[in-house]
Amino acid sequence: MCGIAGIVHPDVAEPVAEQALLRMARAIAHRGPDGFGLLLDAGAGLVSSRLAIFDVARGWQPLEASPGGDVLVYNGEVYNHPELRSDLVAKGEPFATTCDTEVVLRLLERDGVSSLDRLNGQFAFAWWQPQRRRLTLVRDRFGVRPLYHALLEDGSLVFGSEAKAIFASGAVVAEPDLAGIDEAFTLWGARAPRTVFLGVRQVPPGGLVVWERGRIVEERAWWAPAYDPGGAPADDLEALLRDSVRLRLRADVPVGTYLSGGLDSSLVTALAQQETDHELRTFSIAFADPRYDERAHQEAVASAIGTRHHVVDASIADIARAFPEVVRHAETPLVRTAPVPLYLLAREVRAQGITVVATGEGADELFWGYELFKEVVLRELHVSDPQRAEELLEQLYSYLGPRAARRGPAWRRFLLETGAEDAELGSHLTRVEATATVKAFFRPEVAAETRAQEPLDRLRGELPSAFLRWSPLERAAWLELRTLLEPYLLSAQGDRVAMAHGVEGRFPFLDHRVFAHSVQLPPARKLDGMREKVALRDVAARVLPPAIAERGKQPYRAPEIAPFFAPDAPGWVEDVLSSSALAETGLWDETRVAGLVRRCRAGRASGMRESMALVGILSTQLWHRELVGRGVDHYPRETREPRVRIDRRVETPTEEVVA
Amino acid sequence: MTEVTGDVRGEIRAYVEENFLYLHPGVELRDEDDFLTLGIVDSLGFVELVEEVQSRYGVQVEDVEITEQNFGSIDAITGYVERKRSAA
Repeated sequence: MCGIAGIVHPDVAEPVAEQALLRMARAIAHRGPDGFGLLLDAGAGLVSSRLAIFDVARGWQPLEASPGGDVLVYNGEVYNHPELRSDLVAKGEPFATTCDTEVVLRLLERDGVSSLDRLNGQFAFAWWQPQRRRLTLVRDRFGVRPLYHALLEDGSLVFGSEAKAIFASGAVVAEPDLAGIDEAFTLWGARAPRTVFLGVRQVPPGGLVVWERGRIVEERAWWAPAYDPGGAPADDLEALLRDSVRLRLRADVPVGTYLSGGLDSSLVTALAQQETDHELRTFSIAFADPRYDERAHQEAVASAIGTRHHVVDASIADIARAFPEVVRHAETPLVRTAPVPLYLLAREVRAQGITVVATGEGADELFWGYELFKEVVLRELHVSDPQRAEELLEQLYSYLGPRAARRGPAWRRFLLETGAEDAELGSHLTRVEATATVKAFFRPEVAAETRAQEPLDRLRGELPSAFLRWSPLERAAWLELRTLLEPYLLSAQGDRVAMAHGVEGRFPFLDHRVFAHSVQLPPARKLDGMREKVALRDVAARVLPPAIAERGKQPYRAPEIAPFFAPDAPGWVEDVLSSSALAETGLWDETRVAGLVRRCRAGRASGMRESMALVGILSTQLWHRELVGRGVDHYPRETREPRVRIDRRVETPTEEVVA
Repeated sequence: MTEVTGDVRGEIRAYVEENFLYLHPGVELRDEDDFLTLGIVDSLGFVELVEEVQSRYGVQVEDVEITEQNFGSIDAITGYVERKRSAA
C-alpha cells in the first residue's frame, strides 16, 4: 500500500522541479510511511511513498521495466500476484523482486490494459511509457484506492493518490467546485470523475484515463458492475469467500480484522481465523452512548472465534478533537462523523504494529443487507397490499429505538411513497431528501447556483443502458455501489481514515468473483422477504454461533451533535462558525447557521436533518480552511533521503537504491 | 377562539418558528400561510411535524389524515387538533 503522484509535460524539454516532487511525496507520506522514491525523466516526474507489505526489503518504487523503459508507480495490492507471476515466469519473463508491483508492470508491458481483467485486487496506478509520452491512470473495479488528476492549460497532467498531492505540486490551487459540493450534500460524496475541487478529477472506479503528449486520449471503464446473471453460480459461496479471505491474508506483515459485531465482519473474522496460522488480532470501536455501542456483540464474537481483541473507546471528546484531521485526510465536506472513530481505530491498529486489516465492507451492497433494499420491496408491496407493507415497515429501523415506535403515519408515508414513482432513482430519494437539508443552509446565491446543476440529472444521464432492464433491487444495488460505496464508504470512511495512519483495509466481499457470484444468485438468496443476506447467513451458520449468524443489522453510526457542543468542546468549533470564517468560505447563510448553532447548544436540534446539517457545515468550514486557496508554502517538502532515485535527465541515467 | 385553540395555535407557531423558520430569515409566516408553498417544511420536516402533533396532543393521526388540509399551515393544524380532540 502506498501513495503515488507525478507530473507529466507534453514537452520533453519542460523541466520538472524536484522540489515539487518532494512536496508531493510529503503530502502523501502518511500513506507510505516506510519511505519514498522518485523518478526524474525528461519532462516527467513520478513519486511513490511506500507502506511495505510484499517484499519489504526490495519492492521500492518507481519501478522501471528496464533502464529508460516503462515505469510504474502503484498503490494497492494484487492478491493473485503469485499465480500471475508463475504464469509469466513460465513464459520467460524475468523478475527481480517478489513484489506484486513488478507483476503488474510485466503484465502491462506484455499485454497492455487488456491484462487488467486478470488482476484480483485493489489498486490505483500510473503507468508511464516514456517512448510514447503516454501516461495511463487506472483504478480498481470498486474504487477501493483513490486516484486524482488535473489537466493543466498547457496540456501537462498532474496526478496523485490524494488531491493534496496535486495542490502540493504548485500547479493547481484548490478551489471549491460547487457542483461537487452539491453532490456531497446530495449523495454523501462527489461522484467520480467529479470532485469537490475545481479542475481536479478522479479516475472512476473500474476506469482508466490515458494521457498522451498533452491530451487525454482515452477515458473509459475497463470494468463495470452489471446485473446480467447468465446462469446459476458455478462456485460454492463458502469456498469462494474462503479463497477471497485467504488471498487477502497474503502479506509479509501481520494482519488483523475489524469487528463491528455484525454478520459481515464476524464472518470475515471467522474465516480469517481458520485460514491463518497466526494469532488473529481483532479491532473494534466502542461508544459510551448505548445507541451506538456494539461492544457486547463484538466481545461475544471475538470470544467465540478466539481472537486477541482490542477495543477503542471513541468518546465524544475524541471525536471532536480528531474531526479536523479527518476532514483534512478526507478532503471533502462530510455529512457524518462516522469516519472519525474509524480514524481513531486505525491509529490504534498502527500502534499495535498491524498494517493490514480485513473488514466486512461490501457485503451489504452485494447481498442486499441495507434497510434501503427492504424499502424497495415494501414500496412495491405497498401498491398491492398497503396494509401488509405498513406492518412490515415497522420492522425496519428498529435500531432507532423507542422513538421509532412513535414513528407514525407520516414516517411510513415518507418511506413508502418517496420515490415510488421514480423507476430510476426511487430507491435513493429518501436519502437524497434527508441529506438535502444541508443545502437549506446555503446562502441564497449559492443555492441558486447549485439548483442550476441538479446532481440527480447527471446521475440519470449516466445510468448504464441496461439499467431499466434490471430489477428494482438490482438498480438499487448498482446505485449503492456507485453513489455511496465508492464516493463515501470506501473513501472518507475507508481508505482515507485508514491510510491516514498507514493502515491498509482489505475487503474480501469486494473480490470481483464474489460480486459475480452475488449477481448470479437468485434474488431470494440475497433478500427473502424481510430477511437479508440469506446466502451469507447460511455460510455464517456453519462458522459462527447461531446468535451471531442470525443477528439483525445495526448500521454503524457515531455521535454527531454532542461532540461539538459539549462543555469541553475544542476551540476550533467556535472559530470555524465565526462570522469571519463563514464569510471567508462564502457558502453558508450566517443567520441560518446561527439558528442551528443556537438549537444545538440548547440541546433542541432534532434528529437526522439537523445532525447532517451541522456536520456538513463544520466539515465544509474545516475543509475550506485547511485546503482551499493554499499555496505551495502550505506543503512542506519531504526531507528524508529517497529509497530510490532514478534520474534519466542526465546523459548517463543513474539509479540509486539506498539499502 | 377558545382558550384551547389559543394554546394549540401558539404552541404550533412556536414549534414551527423554532424548528423551521430559522432557516427562512425574512419570512413573515401568517397562520394561514401554506408551509409547502413557502418551502418552510421539507419532506422529513413534515414527518417531524406530524410526530410532534401526535405526541404533544396525544392524537392518533391516521394515514389518510396526513394531508395539506390538516397539516399544511398553522391554521390547518390548529383546526385538525381541535377536531380530533372534540371527536375524542
